[in-house]
Parts: sequence; structure tokens; C-alpha cells
Amino acid sequence: MDKIMSEEFSRMKEMFDNLRADKYPHKTYCHIGKQGPRRLDGLLKASGRADYTMDIQLPGMLHMRFLTSPYPHAKIIRMNTTRAQAFPGVRAILRYDDIELPETADLGGHVSHEEIVLPGIAYFQGQECGAAIAADTEDIAEQALRLIDIEWELHPFVLEAEESLKPGAPLANPELFSWGNHYNELLLGEAFTDIKKGDIEKDFAEADQVVEFRSERRLHTWIGPERPCGVFRWNKDCPEVWVKQQRPHIAKRVISSWFGIPMNKILIHCLYQGASFGGWSQVNWNFGGHYCAAVLAKRTGRPVKWTFTRREDFFGGEMDEGAYYLKVGAKKDGAITAVEGRAVLANQQWPVFHFLHHLVENTRIPNIYGKMLTVMTNKGPNVPCRCEQNANTHTQTLVFDHIANALKLDPTEVALKNDGAFGHDMTWLNQQKEERGFEVRDSLKECIEKGKAAIDWDKKWHPPGTKILPNGRLHGMAFTWAHEWDDSGGSSEIAIRIERNDGTASILGMGCDNGVDAENAYCRIAADELGMKLEDVFYNPQIDPGFFRMTPDSSSNMSINGFAVRHAARILKQQILEAAAGPVAQTQRGSFPPFFPEAKAADLDIKDSMICLKKDPSIRISLAEFVGPSRGAGPMADNENLGERTAFSAPLFAYGYHVQAGTYNPQHVYTKFCRQAHFMEVEVDPEIGEVIVTKVVNVNDVGKAINPSSCHGQQYGGTYMAVGRGLTEEVIYDPVTGVMLNGNLLDYKIATILDIDGPIDTILVETGMGYGPYGVVGIGEDIATVVPALVGPAIYNAIGVWIDDFPITPDRILKALNKL
Amino acid sequence: MSEKPEPETRFLCPYCSCPVEGFEALKIHVLAEHQTEPVPEAEGLINLIVNGNSYKFLVEPEWTLYQLIHDQLGLTGTKQFCDRGACGSCTVIMNHRAILSCMTLAIECDGAFIETVEGVAVSHPKLIEKYAEHHAMQCGYCTPGFVVTAKALLDKIPNPTDQEIRGALAGNLCRCGTYPQHPIAVQEFIKERNGQDNV
Repeated sequence: MDKIMSEEFSRMKEMFDNLRADKYPHKTYCHIGKQGPRRLDGLLKASGRADYTMDIQLPGMLHMRFLTSPYPHAKIIRMNTTRAQAFPGVRAILRYDDIELPETADLGGHVSHEEIVLPGIAYFQGQECGAAIAADTEDIAEQALRLIDIEWELHPFVLEAEESLKPGAPLANPELFSWGNHYNELLLGEAFTDIKKGDIEKDFAEADQVVEFRSERRLHTWIGPERPCGVFRWNKDCPEVWVKQQRPHIAKRVISSWFGIPMNKILIHCLYQGASFGGWSQVNWNFGGHYCAAVLAKRTGRPVKWTFTRREDFFGGEMDEGAYYLKVGAKKDGAITAVEGRAVLANQQWPVFHFLHHLVENTRIPNIYGKMLTVMTNKGPNVPCRCEQNANTHTQTLVFDHIANALKLDPTEVALKNDGAFGHDMTWLNQQKEERGFEVRDSLKECIEKGKAAIDWDKKWHPPGTKILPNGRLHGMAFTWAHEWDDSGGSSEIAIRIERNDGTASILGMGCDNGVDAENAYCRIAADELGMKLEDVFYNPQIDPGFFRMTPDSSSNMSINGFAVRHAARILKQQILEAAAGPVAQTQRGSFPPFFPEAKAADLDIKDSMICLKKDPSIRISLAEFVGPSRGAGPMADNENLGERTAFSAPLFAYGYHVQAGTYNPQHVYTKFCRQAHFMEVEVDPEIGEVIVTKVVNVNDVGKAINPSSCHGQQYGGTYMAVGRGLTEEVIYDPVTGVMLNGNLLDYKIATILDIDGPIDTILVETGMGYGPYGVVGIGEDIATVVPALVGPAIYNAIGVWIDDFPITPDRILKALNKL
Repeated sequence: MSEKPEPETRFLCPYCSCPVEGFEALKIHVLAEHQTEPVPEAEGLINLIVNGNSYKFLVEPEWTLYQLIHDQLGLTGTKQFCDRGACGSCTVIMNHRAILSCMTLAIECDGAFIETVEGVAVSHPKLIEKYAEHHAMQCGYCTPGFVVTAKALLDKIPNPTDQEIRGALAGNLCRCGTYPQHPIAVQEFIKERNGQDNV
């Protein structure tokens, strides 16, 4: 038994940091890749019975709200909370100068980070600072907040990225960056060493066509439907905490660091998540609420629920906010010879990913020069929303569509002409595929062919500004592409246990369930690998069994957690078969005969949750019978007192784990083989500047779709988010006061069902060229990031004028048409 | 031998101090002599029928119907997403109309018939099943609002077109973008229901 199990263990270790084709897939699958049945959480969610952190109410629970800054940059000089303290229903107030607060603490976020728990200085309007009030109701806390008397010292502020670089610009955060607002510079080639340093002028001189343009991406944000919130209760000295968090494992570690409480005394509940799309879950101080709630819960002896209002969840946004300057040179045939880019991006919480890096990873473009400045403004942290690579996808779309149009070439041809990686062409890339054990397929070509057919590209695509529809609107079409990216890397521990009595399997491993139906996919892998019926495998990631799986639970989840589940399932299956073939148990009073006395484990198999003989599957025993029923005397059958002895089996439990270094490790850059292609058709009303998206086609090479419904969900769902991002989503600040003007969902417009007036065709390509188990790659971060910029070239194709200022709102279209 | 009847408690009228035998008689006296409600209801007391069950609630004037349903009744399927009448997640059916419970004051709902998603799940279990089958949810936070809105539409228009469904759901926001699945789920429900009707 040990030998066979250790074989899977060595495979498991062999697969760490996997950069090759999966050597150990099966030939056929019963559950992997099949449509339906329904989602595990579907009935609960549709019937309103799914519980979220916001729904938690505990006996005696208090409600905590934060004071927020009315100014974009201000310091509290004096604060008097006497009136608030006297307000009926107020139970406790925590002040920024409270002696119990440490100077800084680890407040969560993506990486361990020391932050001020309750700051006395605000760097953006709406920032939580100064005080937190716990009261009998949220309304009382809110009213009491207004009774706090504060003397503010107003500091100068700056709102726009490029403004903040000008000489004499106000310092957005002089405590952190005393030298100026510019706090990071990434030169391409610094982090990724295989970019040669060439001669820019010479590279552009070789080009037949050069285009230069400036684009702007205005601030947009995450909008998690469930507001940031949490509940903290002390059970004697043991915290019990409900977290709205993409990373429950961070919750436990962080809370342990605050009060010196051992990890094993902390109980975490991570209920269904009203998604945050990265966003809130990535903010460096997102456990500040829990810290303050913990202190006030201790003082009052009551559980404390802290919440943000919808308005308070509006701050910061996605990491692509800023201005981009691009110069692209190409030969007549579409081969791009050089790209030079400079970008000034605002408030990136971790400026780790160069905005031109997709062009490096994704193309044969030989000369790429880029400089990315990151600056601080008074708007709040910009963090990954769907992904930190929005700046890349924005750039790639505009670079390719601008040059293809300038050359009057079909953009799909220009994409194929430049596909490759790290400056190498497809010959090199195909060689890489072969060396790594993959079947050599042209992913981009397959995606483009399928997409073109679906949207009827060859017949419908036309030169810009040339097609007026009978309804008077201008017709436009556009195409963009990218590689896939499993960008974050990560690690995962997952176990599987066979339950007594009915022999069902439980997957164990805490993670956040933000709705991508990943749990269903893990069940499919476990069921296939164990030989069980899908309905006999269940996974509730909301309970904490001590194992934590990879989050952010989106792009990287399947390639990392999928391995962990598979290893656990394969080891467990061996355990079951060995147990079924071996003596079931031996005691000092006798032994139990094996269920399959003549067989070895290798002669057995599990099919449809039945252990059977391979050569004669009619000789079989169900897993339920095998594990036996529990009785009063314990988890295993034991009726010895009645003179009867029932066989029993050892607990059936196995674990698997996987680690994968991410793209950010310069020594571990992935060469990516899977591609995606997206097509869009729009109608533009030249009188009112309205854009109507009439068709979208998403083609994603996912390597292998484990749970196809979930993949399609990411495609149409991401497309809707993308259309909102491209056309309407913009957080607007008043330049005079620095106050956010549209921090609500009436004035900040996300897409509604009517904002795409036509079909979204979602097509999956499965080349198997991913590094995940079965050849999978992630999909969750792709579409909502790649498609937003596609509205730009689509509108250009309709009106014949480039608008590189996103979101492309009707006023920007009318201005471009000289009608405003 | 017949039992002696219990003597009635004697009350003094709070308005005129006149003695009256028994509480019922006192109520009649107060109404007749002083033209006033003998047992005035507390201010803020409302009667509601929620999912077929009747309730009496003493509500604060500032409470929204959402707060009453979610926090007091514990029917947590009604969700708050935007808190400003922009997203439809808090939709409930009140007197046969889909309304936004975050924009409705509870005190104005006296005598209302209210149906929440929990009620829809009981009256239309097949609609819930179709939602689950067609993945018309991801994070699921906004889903109950869609389900309730769809049910209100079906009450009004039993066989809506896709366009009518899209129109009805246009006030519901879904950040995950599950929109294309909703008309499918609703149409599949109608198809199955109509099939059964024909049988």
C-alpha cells in the first residue's frame, strides 16, 4: 500500500511548479468536461436560503460603523466624542488615539503588510479614519458619528495621475512619500530579463508605418454586491469571526498575529461571498474593520458586526487608471517591428506588472521599450479588479488595432502575424510546446477561425466609418486577442474523506466561494478519479478543517487546487482498494477476512461508487457497505455485545497539495500557449452618441474545460462587466473639493441586462496546452479584462475616428464627431 | 346544584371614574360615552401578511421594509446591494406589484400582502430549479431579487416574450453578468409549466 501511495506522492512532488504537459491524465472521463447537472449552490442561492456575512445576526450583536473623511486630504487635530458617547444606544467608541491600538498591525491584503489600524490622517475623501462606533443598530451608529466634533487640518490634494507629476504638485501622501508623488518606476527588461536593450530610433526607422497615440483609462472600480463587512465574537478567549474575504487563510493568520492567539483557537466562517472581484479583498487594510470590531467586542462583551455603506465601498479601483503614450512601428505586411510605451498610472497598490508585459509574453515583436511610472493621488488604493493586467490588455488591444487600421489590414491577420512569445515567432513557440510534451496546436488560429465564423467576420467587417445602417446608425466591428494567464501562482492543501454509513466523499479545504462554481469542478475531478458518482461527492468550502486551498479562487484556482484534489483522490482510491483487498482488521481476538479475499488492490476498481473486481464487475460491494454503519459504541459498526462481529475499515482519508510559482517570479516566467480571441459588433447613433452592442463572440482556449457551464459563465459574465467598463463606468471626482460625486449605483453605471442588445456567443477551445491538471488554464480573469478596450476599435470602425479615452461615453463620441 | 358565576371585575373608567362591571362593558362605555377607541393601538403598529403568514410589528418610523423583512423577520433572501433603489436586489412583491423594499418605509405597509423570495420558492419551486439548472447566478447575492421580479412578471404576464422578460429585469443589477441566463431560466420554466397545463 505504502509503495503505491508513495508513487502518487512522488508524482505530486514532480508536478510542483509544473511547466509541462500533464503526464498523467486519463483517456476518458465520466464527469470532467460534461455539462450539468445544476450547480451545487444553485437552489440555495435562487431561493434566498444562501447565507452571506451580511445576513449574520447574533444575540446581543452590536453594529459598528466608521467615521469617514469628508476631505480628500486632511488630518484630525482634535476630536471630541462626548456627544456621540452620550447618544442613546451607543455602547462603545474606539478613537484613533486609543491606547489599546498598536502603532501598526498586519491588516490583511494580498501580502503581509503593516498598516495603521485607525488612522488620524485621511488621504482620500471617504477614507475610514478617526473613530469607530458600536451601537445597538446601524442607524444609531450612523447618527452618533455625526455627533463627533472634529477639528480638521486640511492639506492640499491632487486627483489626476499626470497632474501629480507636475512641478509644485501637492504631495498626496507626504508621510509615506516625502520626495514627491512618483513612487515607483518599472522599466521593461528590469523584471523580465530577456528583453534586449536596443536602439529605439533604428527600430522605428525600419518600420514602413508608425502610429503614435495617447490613451486614457479613467478610474473604475469593483462594486462587490455584498458590502465590505464582518462579524467578530469572543467566545471567552477564542475569536469566532465571519469574514467577507477571498482569502480566509489570511484571516486566521492575521487575527492570530494581533492578540497572540494560537491559530487553533480561531474559528473562521467564510460564508457565500457577494463577490468582490479581487477589489476589496486585495486592499492592504481590509482587516481594519475586524481589528476595531475585536477591540470593541472585547470591551462590550458582545459580538460586533462592522459594515461599510455602499458609498463607503466606493474608493480606489482597478490598477489601469492613468495615461498611456504609445508608438508602434510595423512593416507593410503587419509584422510589428517596435513598440515604445510610457504610462503614468495612479495609486497602484503593488506596481508589479509592466503595462507592456503582455506584448512580451504574447508576441514575436522584437523590440519593446517601456517605462511605467506609478504615482500617488488622493483617491484611494487601486488594486486588481478581475486582474491587475487590465493595463496590459488595454494596451495590447489599442496597439494592435491602431497599427492594423493604419496599415489597412485585417486585425485578425495582424494578430496571427505577430503571435509568438518573448520576441520569438511561432516556430520557436511550437518548439517549446513540443519540448514540454504538448500536442502542437495553433491556439490563436483556432480561436480566430471559430470566432470569425460565429460573427461572420469575412462578410461583415469593413473599413472604418463606411457602413450606415437603415436605422441611421453607424455599424462597427472589432477584434482583439490575448494569451491566457494563470497569473498569481499559489498553493493549496486539500483532503478527501469517506464518510461512515453511506460512503459518500467530502472534500475538505477552506476557501472562499465567490460564485464561480469551482466547487462543482473539484467534485467532478474527485468523482472521476475516485470512480464515484458525482452526487456522492460534495464540497463545502465554508468550513475550516485546517486545510486552506488556493485563492483568489478565480484564474488560478483550477490549475492549483485541481492538482491538489486529484492527488488526494488518487491516493484515497489506492487506500480504498488496498483496504478492500487486504485483511480488514486484525485484533488480538481474531481477524476479519478481506472483502475480496483472492484479489490484490491492482485487481480492483471503483465504478459508480462500488468497489468491484476488474475482471468481473458484477462482484462488487458499495462503498457504503464497505465502510459500514456507525453504532452507539462509536463511528464503526460493533455489535460484539450481541455476539456478532462486523468487519470494519480504517478511516479513509487522504490529502494532496500543490504549489505553483507565479508569473511574477522572474526566474519562473511562464511561456503561455493558449490564446483567446474576442469579437464585437456595435451600432453607434451619431446624433446622441449612444453605443449599442449588438453582438459579442468570446473564444477562449481553456486547455480543458472541467466544468464547461462555469467557463461559459465567465465568458458572458465577463463580457457584461467589460461592456460596462468600456462604455459607462467612471468614478468622477469634483476637481475643486476632491469629493467623489457618483459613489452610488444610480450615477456610477454598471451594465444592465439591456446593455448588450444581442447574443453573446461563448466558444471554448480545448487544446490541452495548459500547465494545470488535464491541461487546464484559468479563464476567470480573462474576459472582463480583455474586452473593455474592444469597444474602442469597434466604435472607431463605426465612426472612423479614434477615441482612446475610456470609458467611451456619449459625450466623448459627440466630441469626436465635432457635435459637442 | 348550579355553580355560582364568578363576579365580574369592577373597573373605573379612566375618563370619568364611573364604575363599570367587566372589561367588555368598560370598552362599550368608553366608546359610547367618550367617543374614543377604548384600546388604542400603539403608534407604529402595523399588520402584515408575509408569505401567507400574518404578523403584527411595532416599527420605528424610519425603518424600511427591507430592514423589517431582513433584520426583524429574518427572511434574509431579500438582499441589500445598492441601498438606493438602483439595483433590485431587495425586490419583494407587495399587493401584487414588485417593489423595492429598501425604498419603502415599513410604517406605510400596514395591511399589505407581501411575498418574498422565500415565498416564491414555496409557490414556484420549479422556477427555482430552472434558475439552478441554467446557472442564472454566480455569487448569488442579487439572484433572489431577479427571481422575485420574474415571479411578479409571470403573475402579470403568464407567457412573456424574451423582450418582456428583459424589460422586467432591466432594473436588477448583476455584477457577475449572469444576465443572458435569466430569460432562458424563465422561458424554460414557462415551457415546463405550460406542458403540464396541457396534460
